[in-house]
Amino acid sequence: MKYIGKRVPEIHGWAKVTGQATFTDDLRLPGMLHAKILRSPHAHARIRGIDVSKVLQLPGVVTVMTGKDTPGIKYVAQVSDMYPLAMDKVRYVGDPVAVVAAESEEIAREALSLIEVDYEVLPAVFDPREALKQGAPQIHEDKANNLVLTIKRDFGNVDQGFAESDFVFEDEFSTQAVPHCNMEPRSSAALMNTEGVLQIWSGTQSPYFVRKEVAHVCNLPISHVQVMEIHCGGGFGSRSKYCEDEGVTALLAIRTGSPVRITFSREEEMTTTRIRHPFNIHLKTGVKKDGTFVARQMDLIVDKGAYCHYGPAVTGYAAGTAASHYRVPHFRFTGDVVYTNKQAGGPFRGFGAPQAIFAIESQMDTIAEKLGIDPLELRLRNANQSGDTTACGWQITTCGLEECLQKVVSSTNWQEKWKAEKTGRFRQGIGLATAIHVSGSNVFPDGEFSSIEIKMFLDGQVSVYKGSGDTGTWANTVIAQIVAEELQLPMEKVRLISMDTETTPQSLGSFASRVAFEDGNAARMAAIQLRNYLLESASARLQVPGEELQIEQGQIVYQEDAEKRISYGDAVFHSPRCVGHLLNSFYQYVPNTVRLTPQGYANVSAAYAFSAQAAEVEVDTETGQVRVLRFTVAQDVGKAINPIAVEGQIEGALAQGMGYALTEELIVDPETGRVVSDCLDRVMLPTVMDIPQEQIFLVETCDPEGPYGAKGVGEIGLNPTAAAIANAVHNAVGYRAHKLPIEAEDVYYFLHPEKR
Amino acid sequence: MKKIRLQVNGTWRSGWAAPGQTLLEFLRTELDCTEVKHGCGKGDCGACTVILNGMAVDSCLVLSLQVDGSAVVTAKGLGTKENPHPLQKAFIETGAFQCGFCTPGMILSAKALLDTNPQPTKAEIRRGLSGNLCRCTGYRKIEEAVTAAVDYSSKNHGSTEDSTH
Ligand code: FES
Ligand code: FES
Repeated sequence: MKYIGKRVPEIHGWAKVTGQATFTDDLRLPGMLHAKILRSPHAHARIRGIDVSKVLQLPGVVTVMTGKDTPGIKYVAQVSDMYPLAMDKVRYVGDPVAVVAAESEEIAREALSLIEVDYEVLPAVFDPREALKQGAPQIHEDKANNLVLTIKRDFGNVDQGFAESDFVFEDEFSTQAVPHCNMEPRSSAALMNTEGVLQIWSGTQSPYFVRKEVAHVCNLPISHVQVMEIHCGGGFGSRSKYCEDEGVTALLAIRTGSPVRITFSREEEMTTTRIRHPFNIHLKTGVKKDGTFVARQMDLIVDKGAYCHYGPAVTGYAAGTAASHYRVPHFRFTGDVVYTNKQAGGPFRGFGAPQAIFAIESQMDTIAEKLGIDPLELRLRNANQSGDTTACGWQITTCGLEECLQKVVSSTNWQEKWKAEKTGRFRQGIGLATAIHVSGSNVFPDGEFSSIEIKMFLDGQVSVYKGSGDTGTWANTVIAQIVAEELQLPMEKVRLISMDTETTPQSLGSFASRVAFEDGNAARMAAIQLRNYLLESASARLQVPGEELQIEQGQIVYQEDAEKRISYGDAVFHSPRCVGHLLNSFYQYVPNTVRLTPQGYANVSAAYAFSAQAAEVEVDTETGQVRVLRFTVAQDVGKAINPIAVEGQIEGALAQGMGYALTEELIVDPETGRVVSDCLDRVMLPTVMDIPQEQIFLVETCDPEGPYGAKGVGEIGLNPTAAAIANAVHNAVGYRAHKLPIEAEDVYYFLHPEKR
Repeated sequence: MKKIRLQVNGTWRSGWAAPGQTLLEFLRTELDCTEVKHGCGKGDCGACTVILNGMAVDSCLVLSLQVDGSAVVTAKGLGTKENPHPLQKAFIETGAFQCGFCTPGMILSAKALLDTNPQPTKAEIRRGLSGNLCRCTGYRKIEEAVTAAVDYSSKNHGSTEDSTH
């Protein structure tokens, strides 16, 4: 193959290396207004009144808007609980209360100080376990005890499973909140055009979710909202459904009749956008003497923060992961999703899996130690296999888990390092962890499909219309490669138009590791169909049978006589299907999956990816500091359509996973609920100085359903990383991390209990 | 407000500078140089890096009024599509970006490094890029790209200087 499996450069490369890729804040629209949001300084308060009278006197201010000036409709989300601007109550420090649009950002910012809000401060609650107690402050009127809902799963007979087990292990784990830290701060711009269509620019993964939410809160029909193509400076889940600024921007555009933009400060990006949910995890596992898993029970308390967003889906996916990661015949799960007066959680790369896997893989090493079984052996004994159906109904067609484990172990000299004696001030350790992940997930009522349209011009070049976004994952490049391959066109002749809800056909969006897989299948089928149209036209024109024609670089050639040939352009022109001098092909791919039910049993994805990772660390026993020296990864990617892109996804995920394990945390002041780590410096993202050696192996299992065999690769690289590091720390110094991040202080006191 | 002049990528431009306004804001709002990115506004991320009179700086930490008459190089001023700067070529070939938001700043920090130290060691490359955050790539391909650019430059026995300087 010419383009599939090749290291093809990113198609937007030149725009990106020159800074010309246009992000929302780079847009320049005539007469554009700039808006700033006034946010609550209190974690929980009733709004008695808002006085905006002074604001309009400030020269340059165009309008000020509070909740009362809006239609008063909540976002749909999964549980509809949030207005674009607070109506009568604020529920976390940062809740949007009012917004000012002005001629410049400076004026808008200054104007905010002129708004007077009369708050009645209410008691707040920041710990979800406290929030569940009788008498805790109630955050939403309709949710007693702050319980949004409880997700339950019960497969097999768990009680019997535990009774039949030789050993039962129970552990508690907790994980922290992490902000996505996309390098591009949130920004959205909107304009109500003269046709009454609201056009909105928002770096998003899923324009159709944005359209749905914006139309809803603005009370517009969806046909009157157009989400426009724009670059997005990193998604990682944070832009995967909708962001709360989009509704505010849209409402302002309608109110003012001018183009309006809201761009967040870095502090707003860090303290008010959706974050990775903190989990409290109780994990109970029953095993046989030989290490075979019999039953698993996971109970979660999910710290939802002030609003629900997509918390139930994240919790449900943690359940799916826990039911499917290794073979577990009996499985039970409860996930309490609980409101607190904090910044709300949302989708973040891995979607609940990294939290669940941190617990499962950490406990795995404890089990191995107790049973005296090699940790590799224990994993192999319980590994998923091709043909398995997991406890929650995931049907695994191809499974490279065992191969991934073997690859990682053989290339790290794992046995020797694992058993090596650890002495001296700096002690090295090695840890293993694995993961499973979907390639698209049939969970939302919005449907589960991707569609691609291709138009070929008379010059033989094509434009490909793709409804999902590309937040930097190279999704557009991968789709262009597929079209180039099937039509035998050079990459330069394939142009990608993505995420314009008016012109690109609908797709669910780019999340759940689904674009290369689902959009990829749609692109492949659309391109094959277009190729057939070309052959059909050429066959009629050249008067030779279609089967004897070959396509190559813009020409359709008769195999018997190379003189008999016709260009793509001519084939387009003479095709009976040619309309308006274009040959069009459209394909909608619907994977053969089952929509998740409330009971949680369904084959939600058409293919499952696997990964094994080994982390090697060095622990300074005098400070407790952990440094990662090396990652070794083997990942079942199905087929790497573009190895650069796949490696990039894995390398980026490793850095995020390392940050998750060791440093990154959104710290909230327990007195006020204010975020303390409100800048990049304080969240401590890895820099280039922190990146260890890395060795990455791509295991190609060629899934029958994936395009060319490909599976999803976007998220799984992060899922096992924290666990692998935690296991390596344990191997080095014996410290078992039960909470993330692994802090030097905790390691130090473990090693020097007398100093505590 | 004061009218100031800046030579941006070799062309003299002018605009209104206000007290307290940063060079970053001046470039983006007065001159529409949107290739200079605003990632944090306080020196944490390096997305706003430009080369100011030959030195890489965070333009969000420089006041516009202080740089009247200076020369600024942005990522747009390095090469052309037909004849890209070695760093641009290397970033594209290596795949050293995903979303591309950090990329202009990353390339300019690398350029400033190579301008003063054309044969940096791996450790020197790391130090040269340590003020630039990237949330997408995990940095590995960025390091590879800078190493590759050093190779191209030495092969072409040219420097990594751009055409405008
Ligand atoms: S914007 Fe200047 S360092 Fe981040
Ligand atoms: S490529 Fe996205 S932040 Fe670096």
